[in-house]
Order: sequence, then structure tokens, then C-alpha cells
Amino acid sequence: MEKEELKKQIYTLIEQAQGKKKYKQMDIIKHFRNLGVSDAETKEAIRELIDGGQLIYTYMGGSYIELATKLEKFEKDIFK
Amino acid sequence: MTKKYDTPLLDELEKGPFPSFVTEIKKAAAKNEMAADELGLLEKSFRDKVTYWKHGGIVGVRGYGGGVIGRYCELADQFPGVAHFHTVRINQPAGLFYTSEAMRFICDVWDRYGSGLTNFHGSTGDIILLGTVTDNLEAIGTIFSINGFDLGGSGSAMRTPSCCVGPARCEWSMIDTLDITYDLTQEFQDELHRPSFPYKFKIKTVGCPIDCNASIARADCSIIGTWKGPIAIDQDKVKDYVKKGMNIQEEIVNLCPGKCITWDGNNLAINDSDCLHCMHCIAKLAGALKPTPPFGATVLIGSKAPFVVGATLSWVIFPFIEMKPPYQEMKDFIRAATEWWSEYGKNRERIGELILRMGMREFLEAVGLTPTPEMVKEPRRDPFWFWKEGDLEGKPWESWLK
Repeated sequence: MEKEELKKQIYTLIEQAQGKKKYKQMDIIKHFRNLGVSDAETKEAIRELIDGGQLIYTYMGGSYIELATKLEKFEKDIFK
Repeated sequence: MTKKYDTPLLDELEKGPFPSFVTEIKKAAAKNEMAADELGLLEKSFRDKVTYWKHGGIVGVRGYGGGVIGRYCELADQFPGVAHFHTVRINQPAGLFYTSEAMRFICDVWDRYGSGLTNFHGSTGDIILLGTVTDNLEAIGTIFSINGFDLGGSGSAMRTPSCCVGPARCEWSMIDTLDITYDLTQEFQDELHRPSFPYKFKIKTVGCPIDCNASIARADCSIIGTWKGPIAIDQDKVKDYVKKGMNIQEEIVNLCPGKCITWDGNNLAINDSDCLHCMHCIAKLAGALKPTPPFGATVLIGSKAPFVVGATLSWVIFPFIEMKPPYQEMKDFIRAATEWWSEYGKNRERIGELILRMGMREFLEAVGLTPTPEMVKEPRRDPFWFWKEGDLEGKPWESWLK
């Protein structure tokens, strides 16, 4: 799979899971491993999405990968 | 002029002979609004017996998955200075050695971008900078980064490796704890800053079995300096200890867990083959007894505080490993162990807990190690037989029965 396509698919996976399931990095790697993508490729794609600011690491009793847009919403909600 | 709060309950903590954190917060509060409100909030918490902090694990520096622990205050209207009060972890230098210039730099940054309150050091070993706002995080990360510092670990990641002062100040250090820690920190940068493990993973390195860093109880991977040669004895110095009033039989011989020391009132003898390398005798008879080369480390795995299961101490994996740069065997072992753990570990399950759940056999197979007697944790347990189908096809029991 092309890297840009892989990044798009990872982003979509996280976006669609929002509010339903939280993905850890290893969950994403396993998901794409089942689709024939190597662990190293998935790891690299995640890294670029994080460095690019589209995804962020969050910590809620464990570290997860979520959409970067969550931060703004989180800070608004927490002061309500 | 910062706000001033009445703090009768906190004032009680300034009484007595010991240094008081309240006094230090008051000093910071004189010039910093965040520290002033922190003082007011703390007094209210003491009065109400309620904590008003909320944990929010979302904030961070771009590209990093750790190093910042989000904190928000529930009473932001009353104490606006601490509405955000995030903690920043900075990777400490190995052995906690600083120049005064470096200390001033850290404090100046924190006076400008945070509350001015620090904690040298947190339990993991990091420099802890207490209290800043989300908008300052990127600037803080950048400033520290261009000045040779980096964020520390937090979350489900490799935590900042830490060590004792080692050979820099200690005559007993049998490995270069500082170099090992620095090297491992550089090697595992990705694992430190990009949380990909089921839970935290700590590495602590100490120079000798006295274990000043308590690595055996606090680190998922404990690297403890040890020796293989005989213990050198200076009989004259032993006698000096006797002259000064030491009871060798009571304080040394009877407390030896390996029962390998004898004392006839004139000569101390050690049966080195029975020595358990606890180092009690060497520490008590400093100068009179000395470990001799070859030096290396015992590597243990799996200690942790109570969570999924109760507190555990580390378990011996390498009874003796030469710790020489580039420490490749150690790095390969850590990679193999964490890969296995990432594959099979449940959320918030430490590696030691996974070993307890799946068995040491599985772990040893995954990391490619052959079992040795030193790995047996308790007598009549942990036989580590690796029966495979092929082994049983040969019906080995028939030859045993004969």
C-alpha cells in the first residue's frame, strides 16, 4: 500500500472509531497487519500523522491515538 | 502583586525542624500568580478534604506522546491561576549531575513559562516542572530542546531510564551506570516519546547489589552491577573493625544469606562459590572486603507496584552479563521482551504481570534465552521444561524408566 493511502486509511480508522473505540498504536499495527501491511510501514505512517499534527497521543489509563481535534473540544468541555 | 490567601492549615506544615514545601510555595507565590493560587487551592483542599484537580491526558508537545501530564482545576473561577496546571517531565542527566548554569537555565525557563515550582526529582527520576498552561507547552518543548534537554517519558511508554551516581562518585560501582543509562536513553528514543506499549516500562541501572536506586523493586528491567571474582579480604582491616567494637560473628557471619563466611576470632574466610552476592559483608566492612573482576551485571525483569496484581520484585534473567559498549546484547533483549509484551499484553498490564499470566517459559522462548538455575524463583517451582512435539516422538521416558 502507498504511504499516503495508508495514512489516509489510518486517519479514517481513527475518525470512524471516535466515541466508540479507542485505538492503541499496537491495535492499529495489528489491524493493518491483517491487511498485509508490514508493522514498520504502519509505524512510520502513524509517526508522520502524529508529527504532522493530524493525530495525537492521549492518555486515559493507557496511551491511545486519537484525532488532534479532540484537544480543543476537551479543554472546552472540561471548564463547563 | 500576587493574591494572598490565609493558610492556617498549611502554616502548620511549616513548623518543626524539617524543610517545608509550604515555605517554598510561599516564596514562589510572592512573585508568581500560579503559585499563589496553588497555595490558596491547597488550603481549600485541606479544609474541605477534597481534591479539586482533574486529570486530562490529552495535552502535549507536537510529535511527543509523553512528557506532559495534563492537570486542570475544578475551581477555575475561584483560582484562575491554576485553571491549567500541567506538569512537564524533562529527561534528567544520568546520575543527576548538573552545572549551576544548567540549573539556573531550568529555573529561569520555569519562572517565565510556569509556576516556578519544581520537583528535583520525580520518582521515575525526571526533572518535574509543576504548573503551566496549554498555550506554553510548545514553547517550553522548543526551548528545552534547543538547549540540549528533552522531554521525559510518561504514559504507556518507555520511561526515562535512570541510574545511581555510579563510578562518578562511588567506589563500589562495578559497571558504568551513567554511560549505560545515556546509551539506552539514546537507543530507545522512539519508545520513550511515542507510547506504543501496553503500559509503562522502566529501566533502572545501579552499580552494585546495594541498589541505591531500588531498581529491583521499581524497574521493569533492573540492571544491577555485580562481580564474578572472589571477594578480596584485608585481614588487618577486618581486625581494625573488631578493635572498633564490631562483632563480626553477629553482624557479618550470622547475617550472611549464603552462610559462606566463617570467623575464628582471628581470620575471616569466605567460601566464594556459596556467595549470593548480596554485598552485605562488603558494605559493612568497607575497605576490608572488596569485590574483584570480572565485573558485569545481573539483569532482572518484572518488578512493579501493585496494580493488576500485587507488588513484585524483579526476576533474574541474566545472572551475569558483560556490560560493555555498545551494550548490544542488552538492547536486543529489551527489544525482544517489549515486542513480545506489546503483542500479548493487555491494556495496563506490566511485563512482569504478563510473565506471571503466560508463564516464564513463554517469555524465555520469545526472547530466545536458555533457562538457567539462577532463573528459578522458588524451590520446587519453575522447571522450565520446553517439551515440543518432536521431543515426545522419541519417547524419552522409556530410557529414563530403564
